[in-house]
Amino acid sequence: MPRLRSATVLDFARTERGNMIVDSAYAASASGLVKIFSGRRVVDGVDLAVPKGMIYGVLGPNGAGKTTTLRMLLGIIEPEEGERMLLGRSHPRDASDRVGYLPEERGLYPAMRAKEAIAFMGALRGLDWKTGRARAVEMLEAAGLGHAADDKIRKLSKGMAQLVQLLGSIVHRPELLVLDEPFSGLDPVNQEKLEKLIRAERDRGATIIFSTHVMAHAERLCDRLAIIAGGRNRFEGTVAEARGTLPFKARYVPHHDDGGIGALLPADAERRDDGWSFTLPEEGIEALLVRLIDAGYGIAGLSIERPSLHEAFVRIVGREALEEQPA
Amino acid sequence: MSMSRKAIRQALTIARRDFIATVFTPMFLFFLLAPLIMASFSLIGGLGASSVADSAGSHERLVVIADPADAKLIGRVDEQLRALFTKDAMPADLQVESPGADPAAQARAAIDRSGYDVDAAMAGPIEHPHIFYGNGATRSASYLAALAEAAVRARAGGLAPKSIATRTEVKRHQASVSGQHAAGFIAVFGVFFLTLFLAGQTVGTMAEERANKVIEILAAAVPLESVFFGKLVGMFGSAVLFILFWGTIAAQIGHVLPPEAAQAIHDLAPAVGWPAFIVLFCLYFTMAYLLLGSVFLTIGAQATTIREIQMLSLPITFTQVGMFALSSAAAAHPGSWIALFAEVFPLSSPFAMAALAANTPGLTWHLLALVWQALWVAVMIAIGARWFRRGVLKSGGPKRKSKLGNTVAAAGEATGQIPY
Repeated sequence: MPRLRSATVLDFARTERGNMIVDSAYAASASGLVKIFSGRRVVDGVDLAVPKGMIYGVLGPNGAGKTTTLRMLLGIIEPEEGERMLLGRSHPRDASDRVGYLPEERGLYPAMRAKEAIAFMGALRGLDWKTGRARAVEMLEAAGLGHAADDKIRKLSKGMAQLVQLLGSIVHRPELLVLDEPFSGLDPVNQEKLEKLIRAERDRGATIIFSTHVMAHAERLCDRLAIIAGGRNRFEGTVAEARGTLPFKARYVPHHDDGGIGALLPADAERRDDGWSFTLPEEGIEALLVRLIDAGYGIAGLSIERPSLHEAFVRIVGREALEEQPA
Repeated sequence: MSMSRKAIRQALTIARRDFIATVFTPMFLFFLLAPLIMASFSLIGGLGASSVADSAGSHERLVVIADPADAKLIGRVDEQLRALFTKDAMPADLQVESPGADPAAQARAAIDRSGYDVDAAMAGPIEHPHIFYGNGATRSASYLAALAEAAVRARAGGLAPKSIATRTEVKRHQASVSGQHAAGFIAVFGVFFLTLFLAGQTVGTMAEERANKVIEILAAAVPLESVFFGKLVGMFGSAVLFILFWGTIAAQIGHVLPPEAAQAIHDLAPAVGWPAFIVLFCLYFTMAYLLLGSVFLTIGAQATTIREIQMLSLPITFTQVGMFALSSAAAAHPGSWIALFAEVFPLSSPFAMAALAANTPGLTWHLLALVWQALWVAVMIAIGARWFRRGVLKSGGPKRKSKLGNTVAAAGEATGQIPY
């Protein structure tokens, strides 16, 4: 993981009025971020390095410090310790016009019309109102909400309002889009729409950082991910690398089963449905299968399963932290 | 785009939103017409009070027990003396009565007469009259004494004037002290009245963002200083609209003012001259609004409920009245230490400097004062933004205790929620 103090060979730094500007391969990076609330280190030395043009997941159980980390990365709150770089700027505020942000706590002005709300969010990021309104109408129509462009926010459903807010975060075509728990509160149809939209933003050239504690979204979307728990980094890498932290699992179904089969199987073998599940032996499964066939159990079914991201996450974070999550 | 231009652009975006959200609502019409309600009640109250006063006045008398020979003379002298009084200061009507067996007892008994109130009664020879008067009616007694004195002189020398004066009205080229003081008080009162009416609105403006949870979107895109300043500017815009509306109406009313009121306005004479005074008045109102508004906005931004915001209205009003009292004292005593304090203390400075513009010529101090006040607006906004960021925009809160609370505590996790 790159540390800002020793920039990688891809980073070419210059300074402007005390603000370090770096031509970097990373859209966002952080080094040793610490945040203390009421004497508690809610973020305790988090490092991040988000390559440009990727979908980057920040995963962690509820209360892991994801939101605080993202807020520090964006400059909403200041870290007690550590450094940040956002789109090549050491002061995140300097890059704010090139960033889109969807906070976890959704909020819009209820009296605003949908297209005005989107244009307003664009105007905050430097987009002129006329262009903002025109793009808002286009985007709402593309999202199937063209009929609601002139409706006030208070008249929209929660899902529609959430979509309006998301469109507001990308109306200025940001280089970096930060989404904090973007899928929460959305029905499956809108979750799929959002996944498409995130991919479309990546295809446009934007970098996307999103936080979630739902592994399925991360598994489908992320090019790279970081897992945070207890305010600390637990993992950084690709989804495959995360899964690679666990060995493959074998699922075996014998022709017949009795008490003796357990003695032949690996020590971690567990009975599951009509068969057994166990970690794939390091030396391979062939020798084990020969022993099972010789003992007369035969092979009614056999599959080699890759561990899921969920399983890897549980392993990395620790089962206790996951069980802490509210239902 | 430079950072300062970017900050101004962002602040104006917030201001535009707030201005539209404030002005284009039915409630703004109610707010705009609020002075009509106040004026209506004042009119009703004023008419009632005037009616009571007139009614009381028509039931008051001064009684003189005098021989018929003196009665006519006393009546004529009374007419001459009354010409010196304004309508409001006019003594009660004079009633001359013929003396009975004991004029002194008759005069004393008149004080307790029913049907109307006798404020004072005089009996005896006008060279040595005996004057009786009711509780606190010393002024009426003094008038009867003066009446007797004038009657004695008139009897000796006749009623015809002994001195014939030529009167010529001369317009002052320099402002009179009383005109300056009057202008000073009106300046202080004007700035106070407008800020009292308008600046208090800023106290609840951040509550909207907190209630709607928009604050994090704003905070992510715009520095909180720009959010605060934008909100102040937006609310100031609606205040200016209010003033323009009523200012236009007041200008039309000016044409139909009664001569006394027109003369009173004409007599106002700010020391810096009218054009500079009007400009300074506008600037000091702006500064008073921004200064007090930024303080109220800062305090109000910490409030979490409507009830808390409502509770803030009392200290806000007290603060404003305090600044008004301090500045009024400064206006009445130009050059005193209290005036200097009021001119330097940031929250009273706009009021006191408006009074200074009325009382003292010269513009240099005003330029310095405006810079000083603008500096304090920036300081207040910076403090407010920092306080808001520390107090409101933070994650974390009390740790959630559960059966696995120890695990959570060990992990040191934050809730990740803004504690709205």
